[in-house]
Amino acid sequence: MVHYLTSRLREYRRLSRDGVLAVGLMLSVAFLGLFVIYPLFKILSVNASPAAAPAWHRLIAARGTWNVIFNTLWLGLGVATIGTALGFLFAFVQVKLDVPFKRLFNLVGVLPIISPPFAVAMSTIVLFGRSGLITHKLLGLRYDVYGLDGLIFVLAISFFPIAYLTLVGMLRALDPALEEAATSLGASRWRVFRTVVLPMMTPGLASSFLLLFVEAMADLANPLLIGGNYTVLSSRIFLAIIGEYDLYAGAVLSLILLVPSLTLFFLQYYWVSRRSYVSVTGKPTGSARPLETPVLKWSLFALTLLISGLIVLVYGFIFVGAFTKVWGINYAFTLDHFRFVLFGYGSDAMVDTTLLASIATPLAGVLGLLIAYLVVRRRFTGRSLIDFASVLGLAVPGTVVGIGLILAFNQPMWGGLFPKLTGTALIIVMAYAVRSVPGSVRSIIASLQQIDEAMEEASASLGASSLTTFRRITVPLIKPAFLAGLVYSFSRSMTSLSAIIFLVTPRWRIMTAQILNEAETGRFGNAAAYCVVLIAIVLFAIGLMYLTVGSRTGAERLVER
Amino acid sequence: MKRTLMGLAVWVVLSMLAGAFAAQPDTEGELVVLAGPQEDWAQAMVAAFQKKYGIRTTYVRMSSGEALARLRAEAGSPSFDVWWGGPNEGQMAAYKEGLIEPYAPPRAAQIPTELKDPKGIWTGIYVGALGFCSNRELLDQLGLKPPTSWDDLLNPKLKNGIAVADPRTSGTAYTFLYTQVVLRGEEAAFDYLKKVDQNIFQYTKSGSAPGRMAAAGEVPVAIIFSHDCVKFREETGVDLAVSFPKEGTGFEIGAEALIKGAKHPKAAKLWMDWALSPEAQAIAATVKSYQVPSNPNTVVPEKAISLDQVKLIQYDHAKSGELRAKLSERFGEEVREGAAAPRK
Repeated sequence: MVHYLTSRLREYRRLSRDGVLAVGLMLSVAFLGLFVIYPLFKILSVNASPAAAPAWHRLIAARGTWNVIFNTLWLGLGVATIGTALGFLFAFVQVKLDVPFKRLFNLVGVLPIISPPFAVAMSTIVLFGRSGLITHKLLGLRYDVYGLDGLIFVLAISFFPIAYLTLVGMLRALDPALEEAATSLGASRWRVFRTVVLPMMTPGLASSFLLLFVEAMADLANPLLIGGNYTVLSSRIFLAIIGEYDLYAGAVLSLILLVPSLTLFFLQYYWVSRRSYVSVTGKPTGSARPLETPVLKWSLFALTLLISGLIVLVYGFIFVGAFTKVWGINYAFTLDHFRFVLFGYGSDAMVDTTLLASIATPLAGVLGLLIAYLVVRRRFTGRSLIDFASVLGLAVPGTVVGIGLILAFNQPMWGGLFPKLTGTALIIVMAYAVRSVPGSVRSIIASLQQIDEAMEEASASLGASSLTTFRRITVPLIKPAFLAGLVYSFSRSMTSLSAIIFLVTPRWRIMTAQILNEAETGRFGNAAAYCVVLIAIVLFAIGLMYLTVGSRTGAERLVER
Repeated sequence: MKRTLMGLAVWVVLSMLAGAFAAQPDTEGELVVLAGPQEDWAQAMVAAFQKKYGIRTTYVRMSSGEALARLRAEAGSPSFDVWWGGPNEGQMAAYKEGLIEPYAPPRAAQIPTELKDPKGIWTGIYVGALGFCSNRELLDQLGLKPPTSWDDLLNPKLKNGIAVADPRTSGTAYTFLYTQVVLRGEEAAFDYLKKVDQNIFQYTKSGSAPGRMAAAGEVPVAIIFSHDCVKFREETGVDLAVSFPKEGTGFEIGAEALIKGAKHPKAAKLWMDWALSPEAQAIAATVKSYQVPSNPNTVVPEKAISLDQVKLIQYDHAKSGELRAKLSERFGEEVREGAAAPRK
C-alpha cells in the first residue's frame, strides 16, 4: 500500500519536474473537471435530489414521454442506417471506382461539415414540402415533409460525412493484396466484396453507425424546424426549458437522453474502434484495382451523381433563399436580407459570434494539444480518466451540455470566490470549448501516435529540455493535426446551436440562435442570409488559419481525411 | 489573430465607456430591454430611444415562456430592466413569482382603464385579436369560405389543413386555448381541442409561424393574431384573408412591466413612459406591426384591423394568467404528447 502510494507520488513528481507540463496538466484537469465533469455531476445530483421527484413521477407516468423516447430511437436508427449507407457508397465510389467527378463527390462528402443549423431543413421544406418547388410545383404532389421522413432525410445528408470520412480512410488502407489473392483463387467480384472487403470494413461501418446514431439523437435544430409533430428527446428538453420553464423536467429528460448517447458512444469508442483489422504496415502496397464490371460501376456512379446533385441542390437553394424576396413564394431578387444581417440589427450577432468562436478556437486548440500530449506521451495515474473526460464533450448531447452548464454555474461557487457565469460571454466560450476540445484532442492523438518517440528521445539525450523538445520537435510534426483541430473547433463553434441555446445573453448575440428565431417566426429569407454569411465567415477563417498557422500538407490532409 | 482580438477587446471596453458617459438625462445611461414583439419593431424602438435620450440600450427578443424562464433563473440579479411587449399574462405570472415591481408611468393616465392594471403591475401598449388567417387560393380549391366560427375548424375538408402554435411555448396559442375555455367551459373546451386536433397539420413553437405556412400554401388556415396575418400579407403579397369567429374571440394586451431588482431602474422608468407616447407607439406601423396602439392619441394605420370589426369575449387576463400552467400542461398531456407518435 505504502509502496503503491509512493510510486504514484513519484510519477507526479517526475511530471512536475517539467514545470510547463505540470502547469499544462493542471490546466487540462481544471478545464475538464470544471466544465465537463462537474456539469454532468450536477445533472446527476439534481436528478437524485428530492426536488426532482415530482418531475420524475410526472414524466414517467406520461405516455408522451415514452413516445418521445421511442421516436428518438427510431430517428437514430433511421439516420444511422441511411447515413452509413450513403457514407459507404461515397467512400466506395471514391476509392474503388475509376469514374469522373470524383473531386466533386469528395467535396459533397465534406461540405455538410461547415453547414449551419437549419440551412438544410429550410431548403428541404421549400423544395420538398407541401407546397415545395419540386414536390408540388413540379410534380403536383402535396407531400408532408414535416416529421420522421423529413427528419431522416435532412439528418442523413447533414451527418453522412462522419461515415464517409471514416470509411474512405479505411477503404484506402485496405491491403489490395488480399482482394487480389481472393480473386486469383477464383472468387467472383461479389464474393470478394462479401467475404473480404465487407468483413474488414465491419469495424468502420459499426463505428460510423454508432456515431451517426449518437449525432442524430443529439440534434436539436432540425427536430425544431422540420420535426413537425414528431417530438424527440432534444426538442422535448427544449420545450421543458423554454416552454414549461421547468429546469427539473429538463434535467430528468437530459439524463434519459444521456444514457443511450453515452452507451452507444463508448461502445464505439472503447470496443468497435479498437477492433480494427486494417493493418498499416507502412510498406508500399499495390494500389487498389478499380472495379471493372461496367453495369455495376456506372449504376453506382449514376446513384452517387444523383445524390450529389440532390445535396448540391439543397445547399445551393439556400443562396436562392437568401437573395429572393420571400423564399418559396416570391422569387424576385433582393438584397434586403443581407442588409438586415450585415448592416441591420443582425450585424451584432455576426460580430459577437465570430469573436466568441475566435476566443474559443485557440483555447480548444491549446487544451487539445496539452491533453493529447499528456495522454499519448506521459505515463501517470489518471491518464485514462483524462482521455475519457476529453471525449465526453463530444459524446454528451449539446442540449445536455447546456443544461449542465446552467445548473453548475447559475450561482457563485465557493462562497463567491468563483462568480456566477450564466449570463456572461465566458460561459458561451466554455460551451464552445467543451464541444470542440474532443475533436482537437482526437486529431492530435492520431497524429502523435504515428510519430516515433525516438525523435523526441534523441532530442532529450542531446540535452534539450522537455519544453524545447516539445516546441522544436513535437509541435512542428503535429502542426497539420493541430491546424485541423483549429479548423474543426472554429466551424463547430460557429455552427453550434444546442449547447448555447439556453446560455444566450442580452449582451452577446449568437448567430445560430438568431437563425432559429428568424426561421421559427417564418422569415426564411433572413435565416438563409444568416446561413450564407455564416458559411462565408467559416470559409474565410479556415483560409486565414492556413495562411497564419498553416502548411500545404495540412490543407491537403484535411481534404484527404 | 491575437492582435486583432486585443484590438477588439479594447474596442469593446472603449465603446462601453463611451456609452456610459454619453448619457444626458438623470439615468444610469444604460438599459437592457426584454422584448416580446417581432425583432424589427424592438430594433426600431431601441434605436429611437437611444437616439432621443443617448442611453445605451440593448434588447433580447424572447417569447413569453422564454422570458419567464429567464427571469426566474436570474431572480435577484436580473440582466433585464424592463419587459416590453408580449401578452400581459406573462407579466402577471412573473409578478406572482415576485419578479415584477409594480410601476405606473405618468402617461399611463392616458391609457384606457381596461388596458392597464390598476396597481401598475403592467400597462398595455397595444391590443391584438386572435383570428383566422386563410390562404384564399387553397380555400377555393377546397370549395370553402374563410372560417367565421370556431366550429368551422371541425370541417373534415380541413383535414391536415390547420396550423397553430403549441400553448406551452406560445402566448398566441394559449389565447386560443383559453378562449375555448371561456366560451365552452374547461371540459367541453378540451373535447373541442381534441376534435380540432384531427385537422391540425402542425403545432409550431412560435405563435406567428403558422402565418408563414398559410402564406407559403402549406396549410389553408392558420390560427394567429390578425395583425400578424396582415403583416404576412404585406410581406408576401399572397392573398391572405383575415376573418374572425362570430362567437367572439380572445385577444392579447401587449404590455410592459418593470423588472424587480432592475440594475437601471431610472432608465427603465423613462423607457416605460416614453413607450406609451403617441410618438413611440407610431413606430410600430413603420415596421409593419399592425397591432392597435393602447394610447388613443396614436394615429392608427389604415391596414390594421380596428377592434370594432371584431367581437371580443370577456377575457379575464388575470385569471387566464393564473390558469396558464395548469391548462397548458393538460393540453400537452391530453391533446399533444399523447399523439406525439407519427400519424401519417
